[in-house]
Amino acid sequence: MRKLSRIIAVHSYKGGTGKTLLSVNLAAAFAKNGKNVCVFDLDFRAPSLFAILKVETAEYWANDYLNNIVDVDKVLVDLSGKVSEKGKFYAALANPATEAMRDMSSKDRKWEMRALGRLLALKETLLKNEKFDYIFFDTSPGIQYSSINAIVAADLVIVATTGDRSDVDGTKRMLQELYNLFEKKTVLVLNKSLDASATARKAEMSAKVKDAYQVPLLGVVPCFCEVLRAEGNFIFPKDKPDHPFTKILSEMARKIDNNEVN
Amino acid sequence: MRNKSGGFTIRDQMLTRKPIAILEKIEENLEKLNEKMEVMIEIQKNSGDHQRSAVALPDASLDVMTLLSMPDHLRKTAMAICRCGRATADEIAEQTSRARAVESAYLNQLVLMSYLKKERKGRKAYFFVDNEARS
Repeated sequence: MRKLSRIIAVHSYKGGTGKTLLSVNLAAAFAKNGKNVCVFDLDFRAPSLFAILKVETAEYWANDYLNNIVDVDKVLVDLSGKVSEKGKFYAALANPATEAMRDMSSKDRKWEMRALGRLLALKETLLKNEKFDYIFFDTSPGIQYSSINAIVAADLVIVATTGDRSDVDGTKRMLQELYNLFEKKTVLVLNKSLDASATARKAEMSAKVKDAYQVPLLGVVPCFCEVLRAEGNFIFPKDKPDHPFTKILSEMARKIDNNEVN
Repeated sequence: MRNKSGGFTIRDQMLTRKPIAILEKIEENLEKLNEKMEVMIEIQKNSGDHQRSAVALPDASLDVMTLLSMPDHLRKTAMAICRCGRATADEIAEQTSRARAVESAYLNQLVLMSYLKKERKGRKAYFFVDNEARS
């Protein structure tokens, strides 16, 4: 049966909620199950995927694809051996050069419209003929063109939120005022949770999240010091297969893969 | 009897050939008329706050911020056409689960607002996001 959610955007209201680490490790959890995945860094204002994945330089960047300079296969970096032992793992990186960041922040509406078209075209170029099973968009926080483009192009949006009060309120508002308008399938991940027992109290937490945010809960990730310290030094599903974070990621991947996210 | 029957066949042929072509033409014209009326009804229905938005803008582009600022009923149609790139009202109706006539009206309204272009191929009307802007 055809999967419904194959383009997954990871977004948040505030920065620092763990979007990039979540995107990379969740994609790696899929790759561990033999799925072919591809992660796009769409945070052009503050690129970080290249640092997490330790890619020094790339011939072409995700910027070049959106700028219509090259086709998508030119911007994909093969990191399969490094990140995954089973499925393919590719990444399209955002250019960290200041000039590139400046360029991406000065685009007009027409360009943004074409960029949305380029993101939507990935369904044809990457997902057809089983080339890739899943595409992840790691986005900029808050409400701005690049992230809304990613949300509109995605089949499923994972919103990462922490227990921080300003993040909670902003996330609620964003879900109501932005996501509702686009009628997008959305799930929430409570990240860096200080309540260590929250992961175990699945039913209770799901009800709480549904009540507060009006969207389903995909998972709770406790605040693991090792994860924060890892900074990409290891990819959990590959390097730490028995770590609780890996188990949580596997459960999230299973839910998405089985279409159990409603 | 035979003669009668033979005469009936010729008359029958005369009745079927031309009239069918004429009826098809009438149907086609009625469809065109219907589409125009649907647009007028829709624009009237959503008049007031949104009437200004129905005026063609010189730099109209169907970007996400424009989508956000659209009234809900048009956003749904516009999002569907963004996903398809090019589609008929029937195909959009399939995605939005609304009636074809409703989608036809909204699509035509988006054409009037310069967000979409329309092209006829035979009896089908295709709507698409401005190619020039996309290239």
